[in-house]
Amino acid sequence: MENAEGITIPLAKVTLAEAIKKIEAASDYTFFYDAIKTNLRQQVTLKADNQKIEDVLNVLLKTTDLQYKITDHQIALIPRDNFKSTQSKKKITGVVVDETGIPVIGANVVEAGTTNGTITDLEGKFSLDVPLNADLLLTYVGYVSANLKVGSADHYNVQLALDSQGLDEVIVVGYGTVKKKDLTGAVASLQGDLLSSRKTTQLSAALQGAVAGVLVTRDNSAPGATAGSIKIRGVTTIGDSSPLVIVDGVPGDINQVNPNDVENMSVLKDAASASIYGSRAAAGVILITTKRASENDLTLGYNFEYGWEIPTKQPEYVGIQRFLEMTNELRYNDNNAGGMYQTYSQDQVENWVKYNATDPNNYPITDWTDLILKSSAPRQTHSLNIAGGSKSVRTKASVTYDKTDGLYADRYYERFMTRVNNDFKINNYLGATLDFNFKRSKSHQPVFDPINRMRIAAPVYAAVWDDGRMAEGKSGSNPYAIMENGGSKDSWYNQIGGKASIDFTPIEGLKISGIVAPIYNFDKIKSFSLAAAYTLANDPNTIGGYYEGHSTTKLTEDRNDSYNVTTQFIATYLKTLGKHDLNVMLGYENYFQYNETLFASRDQYELTNYPYLDLGPLSLRDNGGSAYETAYRSMFGRIMYSYANKYLLQANIRYDGSSRFHKDYRWGSFPSFSAGWVVSEESFMKDADLNWLSFAKLRASWGTLGNERIGNYPYQATIAFSNALFYQNGIAVSELTAAQQQYAIQNISWETTESLDLGMDLSFLDNRLRFTGDYYHKTTKDMLLALEIPDYVGFDNPDKNTGKMSTNGYELEAGWNDKAGDFSYSVSVNFSDFLSEMGDLGGTQFIGDQVKMKGSQFNEWYGYISEGLFQSQEDLNNSAKINNNVKVGDVKYKDISGPDGVPDGKISSEYDRVLLGGSLPRYMFGGNVSAKYKGFDFSMAFQGVGSQLVRLNSMMIEPLSENWGNIPSILDGNYWSSLKSEAENAKARYPRLTRSNISSNQAMSDFWLFNGRYVRLKNLTLGYTLPLSLTNKVSIDKIRIYASANDLFCLSKFPKGWDPEMGSSSYPITTSLLLGVSVNF
Amino acid sequence: NDLDLNPLAEGSSENWYSNEVEIEMALKDLYRDIFWPMDSEDWTDDYTYRETNSSIVNGTLNGQDGSVTSLWTNQYKAIARANTILANMEKAASKGINQSRIDLYIAEASFMRACMYARLVSHFGDVVYLTEVVDIETAFTIGRTPKADIIKATYADFDKAAAGLPVKYSGGSQRATKGAALALKARFALYNGDWSVAADAAKACMDLNVYKLHSNYTKLFLTTTRNSEESIFVIPRSITNKVTIGNGTVLNTVSRNPGGWAAMDPSWDLLAAYTCTDGKPIDESPLFNPHEPFKNRDPRCNATIVEFGSRHLGFVYDPHPDALEVLNYNTGKMQKNNDNRANAQYASFNALIWKKGVDESWLENGKDADPDKIIIRYADVLLMYAEAKIELNQIDESVLDAINRVRSRAYGVDKAAVNDYPAVTNQGQASLRKILRTERRMEFAKEGLRYMDLVRWRLATKALTNKSYGILYPAALLREKVTSKGLWFWPVTPKLDEDGIPDFSEMENAGQITVLSKRNWDDRQYLWPIPTKEVLINDNLSQNPGY
Repeated sequence: MENAEGITIPLAKVTLAEAIKKIEAASDYTFFYDAIKTNLRQQVTLKADNQKIEDVLNVLLKTTDLQYKITDHQIALIPRDNFKSTQSKKKITGVVVDETGIPVIGANVVEAGTTNGTITDLEGKFSLDVPLNADLLLTYVGYVSANLKVGSADHYNVQLALDSQGLDEVIVVGYGTVKKKDLTGAVASLQGDLLSSRKTTQLSAALQGAVAGVLVTRDNSAPGATAGSIKIRGVTTIGDSSPLVIVDGVPGDINQVNPNDVENMSVLKDAASASIYGSRAAAGVILITTKRASENDLTLGYNFEYGWEIPTKQPEYVGIQRFLEMTNELRYNDNNAGGMYQTYSQDQVENWVKYNATDPNNYPITDWTDLILKSSAPRQTHSLNIAGGSKSVRTKASVTYDKTDGLYADRYYERFMTRVNNDFKINNYLGATLDFNFKRSKSHQPVFDPINRMRIAAPVYAAVWDDGRMAEGKSGSNPYAIMENGGSKDSWYNQIGGKASIDFTPIEGLKISGIVAPIYNFDKIKSFSLAAAYTLANDPNTIGGYYEGHSTTKLTEDRNDSYNVTTQFIATYLKTLGKHDLNVMLGYENYFQYNETLFASRDQYELTNYPYLDLGPLSLRDNGGSAYETAYRSMFGRIMYSYANKYLLQANIRYDGSSRFHKDYRWGSFPSFSAGWVVSEESFMKDADLNWLSFAKLRASWGTLGNERIGNYPYQATIAFSNALFYQNGIAVSELTAAQQQYAIQNISWETTESLDLGMDLSFLDNRLRFTGDYYHKTTKDMLLALEIPDYVGFDNPDKNTGKMSTNGYELEAGWNDKAGDFSYSVSVNFSDFLSEMGDLGGTQFIGDQVKMKGSQFNEWYGYISEGLFQSQEDLNNSAKINNNVKVGDVKYKDISGPDGVPDGKISSEYDRVLLGGSLPRYMFGGNVSAKYKGFDFSMAFQGVGSQLVRLNSMMIEPLSENWGNIPSILDGNYWSSLKSEAENAKARYPRLTRSNISSNQAMSDFWLFNGRYVRLKNLTLGYTLPLSLTNKVSIDKIRIYASANDLFCLSKFPKGWDPEMGSSSYPITTSLLLGVSVNF
Repeated sequence: NDLDLNPLAEGSSENWYSNEVEIEMALKDLYRDIFWPMDSEDWTDDYTYRETNSSIVNGTLNGQDGSVTSLWTNQYKAIARANTILANMEKAASKGINQSRIDLYIAEASFMRACMYARLVSHFGDVVYLTEVVDIETAFTIGRTPKADIIKATYADFDKAAAGLPVKYSGGSQRATKGAALALKARFALYNGDWSVAADAAKACMDLNVYKLHSNYTKLFLTTTRNSEESIFVIPRSITNKVTIGNGTVLNTVSRNPGGWAAMDPSWDLLAAYTCTDGKPIDESPLFNPHEPFKNRDPRCNATIVEFGSRHLGFVYDPHPDALEVLNYNTGKMQKNNDNRANAQYASFNALIWKKGVDESWLENGKDADPDKIIIRYADVLLMYAEAKIELNQIDESVLDAINRVRSRAYGVDKAAVNDYPAVTNQGQASLRKILRTERRMEFAKEGLRYMDLVRWRLATKALTNKSYGILYPAALLREKVTSKGLWFWPVTPKLDEDGIPDFSEMENAGQITVLSKRNWDDRQYLWPIPTKEVLINDNLSQNPGY
């Protein structure tokens, strides 16, 4: 309402707090007061009849000991008695800024213990008359208050730190926001700067260990790598357990958001919070809000980082000498008749190293890892932020460029991202936003990824001949040469996204928004695989052969093109009536996505420097393409009600239709309810005068969620097309063929997850100590499951509503923050655990060494029980064996059962395998420590897993992988050997060296399981902000320099050289060291 | 937007099979390479791969083995597709498709189903027998049907196919024929020991008078010979259409001088198996010289295994440790010989490499090749006929004639030219049985038939529990023990037993040769294990004995 027309508020006896709220709502004035010393619960009389603000305030404050001071549109409430003047005052001035150097407008500056104070102006400036040596207290909602000791200086610069854990923090929830203290569901909220401080290129990677109950896994640190998976509260379904990601209100992709653009991120963990996204929220929801400009913003910030990616640990292999000896021992084990020197002669074994000095071509010693992997790779980031805001238009723009090099050959990842968020205020009824974002990334890498081969290749093969030419390797398998000469692959990914909304506010409290948000993706991949030949060691002019997979030059081009459009209409209505607060939301949403792929290739190019399709032979061209589409339509609504900030209730419902189901089974409704009780607001609690308790809330929620992520047309038995060849007039001609490949079940419908959550939020000691705890129980029914059907049915496993699973879990979060003088610090930790158990699935699902069956855990290890190694012939003769090839020194398995239900004297895959324990991590934890002292800031983040059954995989323990590979160091000295004494063999950790029985020894059994728990220092950052007095002279608001390290160290029980997170054939996990500077104007 | 979205790049099964084009597309799907697996050479004694053995030869086969699961799964996929087509024939008739077309489709689908069950029964014994698409609930109640019942039903399917399929296709795509149905029925009957069924089917195929032996045994397997008059049923391959034997197979076969690896090679057992030109086994023939093992041998020996000193893929092939250089015909110059373990440690471990089917076209196209996948050819029909008649002890001129037609073709002479090749004469059942089995091994080496022959003759017990041998290594040792004494290639002639299985132990004991691997067949493998997963999820399905 326009001030000039006066303020009208009906007569009411209310508390001061409510009066303030009403006046703020009815005018554009804002109140400031000392929240601790002002009694907000005192009853006052509020009445305004088209009156001026001064008149309203005079009536209001008549019965109180407060008086007011109006500056612009800010009203400061100050105790009356503090207007006494004191002697020997001086006038000081100052500037209050936030952590990013932006002025804090309207912050309270009060002389401690008095009513002498003021508030900061539009530039964050203040001036105040104070006694010498006065203590000033600076406070602002949402920020940690600061102390200022007045000394001899006349000007002071004060920085306020954001109080990210404050109860007044606004949390983004589905289709709206809510104050943290009013939350009834289990929602974790993260400030954007916590994520950007992790210094990861991809946002998903920054989330690891940051939130209780959110499990982020990765298996490599390749340039541009994203997290492998994100799971909220464990697994909910057998299908896709990745959460729904909503960026600024519309479905999106977490990795399409620049970490620096994130204002905050909310993780909706329980059904009550997530069910407003019913259809696809079964696995939780991540809401990302990007930064927007605020009124009066005018800033420009630049940030530069330069750093190095350094591989953590690399697997180790036995040296050349032991390789020769152990290879011969292995061959002898498999074929006694062949003697002790089957692969390498006695002369070779004894003199290889010596001969290598003079004849390296015939006696190579190659350290493949050393040759291929660089010791470090550089990375850099430039980013620019611009924000500007007036009353009617606000703009926030960012531009970021990242480049990360790879650890081998000429591999790199390059990314350009920009985001512009605009807000318009047309008039009092109409507002609009227009957002735009663009991303283009390019990754360049050799066609051949050398990592797997690098780990397999044995040292006895030459990578380069002694004159520097590329050597043969093992029969043309030379990962170094293929990496260098095998051609390269470029992938470009472009995304253009936008969002336009119009907000209409016809009456107070009612907002109607119409939103349309399209996202377009254009991918282009170009892989030019070159023919690469090696020449003979003794003859540079004779081609010995072509490298593995590189006998022809082939160009393959891919184009993928997809788009999706989200359309929403949302109406929200807020109403406060006395102690009743009501918030109603109704919405409608449409989503459509379309994908089309295209590829083309030609083979046997004669020219190797023209990667274009036209230049290949016509007869060897190939092309293909495919397309699919999906659509959803949804209606949803929510009611939030609170009474006196004490009793909170919320109900949601969402009604969803998906194109993935037949129209008769298409629609599902997903309701949820939640309630909160703010115990600390109860009068009996207040009467008890528990000073140490600042806040206490109990929460309970129940709700249901849906899932349907199972392919695009699962209810339709589609006819898939292939090709077969037929002779026509003596020529083989390819003809189109057709077959139904899937057995379809037409009446499949939504899978439903029901979830119950009990939680509490507690704060102690003036909110310095915080604690949040949640327990949950989830049950998934009608699980959409591609159950194993007998293969003789002749179709692929169909999706079906079958089976049940349940998950129990809990999450704890605790934090402490405090300050002493210039030193402020905070510590936060999180801990979570869950266990998923499969109910009656109506069948079984096998996934490699793991299984899902009734009573098993989700993906539980499934295999034999081992009884150590066979130590004697007698033991072997008298035991059940897996086959007749088993010898002393092989793994001994327990005969558990047989076809008749009793042990049958044989070890068989049908009757002797059992559940061996869960494969998923337990007791996940993470934490942050941060501290500030004057200009210095320090932060540290760690993350880990308390327990996880992990299998020693074949890459870790298999000798001579693929029959020509290397031998892992951990075997040497630890395997059963006929050359060792009985006593030594009794202690052997690994079976005898063998190839002929390797599959039996390496069959899944508890022999290979170990506890893969680990703790990792995720990030360590030390920063220094130059004093404002220095930077202000050159018109810079802030300069901060910092050093940061990611993945600095890790403790685990993994075999030496294996990082607990690294995949066996994947790019190494790296430690990043970064130096950065940010400048804000 | 509309929520009624239908697949964009796929057809709908609801209204498929309603016209000839759609039915034929469904039938053609059954000709895909994946549904026509061949038994692998590395399951036999004809083959060596350095010091390793396949899981079958190692005796470690179980129900989780990829060979087991892929055979089972793929054959049943084809069966379900054939059954679906058969189930839709009534609908097709109602849509007005001519009954004669429908009869043809029924014959073709029956042929496919018969071939798939034949392969399943041969490997697994009793299997699940389905003639219609079953729903999932029913599927879990089904167990294995006794082999005898499936055999009977499968013969009936073959008969239906033989009755309905054309002898020849006048134009368009060449698909299954009457001859193919008869020939594959004969093979299945032979595997089951139903000798008269086999003999009758083979005879009926011969009486069609549409097939004849290709004139040149060597050329028959090259890419220059496609869909020859001898081929009864082939799955074509084509580089341009991307159905090939694969670069890996080529590299493992091609010798090292022209750029291959020659890691997967013919065994010494196979080399010893070929008779001499007098028709006698090597340990009986005066014509055999172990130092020149390729001389005076049945021509199929040199057509299958590369003769030392001969031209092969542009080079002289010579694995002799002193042949440090060989002639490169392309350059006309001598060049380092990488087919020799003195120069290249990983050259063929037993000095032998494959020749059959290999020519210089294998070096092109990035070392890939597209010879026909011959499922059955006429020589097989002739020898099956002979074998069945021998087992029935109905040995007459037609039996000798069938064997001699095959043998004389190998020698490149007319059957009647008995002086130019060792023609087979009637020597009684036992003797002829041995001759016929040797003939099959010589004729069909590397064609995927040896494995089932070993199984049905119950010979795996012996042939796959001996050792695989190679030349001594390193070269210094080979020179010292063998070549310096003039004992190259084999120091002595190995003895063959009554089944043609060689005994190299004399040379082994003398330290003149090396044992590459010990074969370790387990007799339980005469029937493969039912895939573990199938047994675990269905209580009605029992495992084969011994697993």
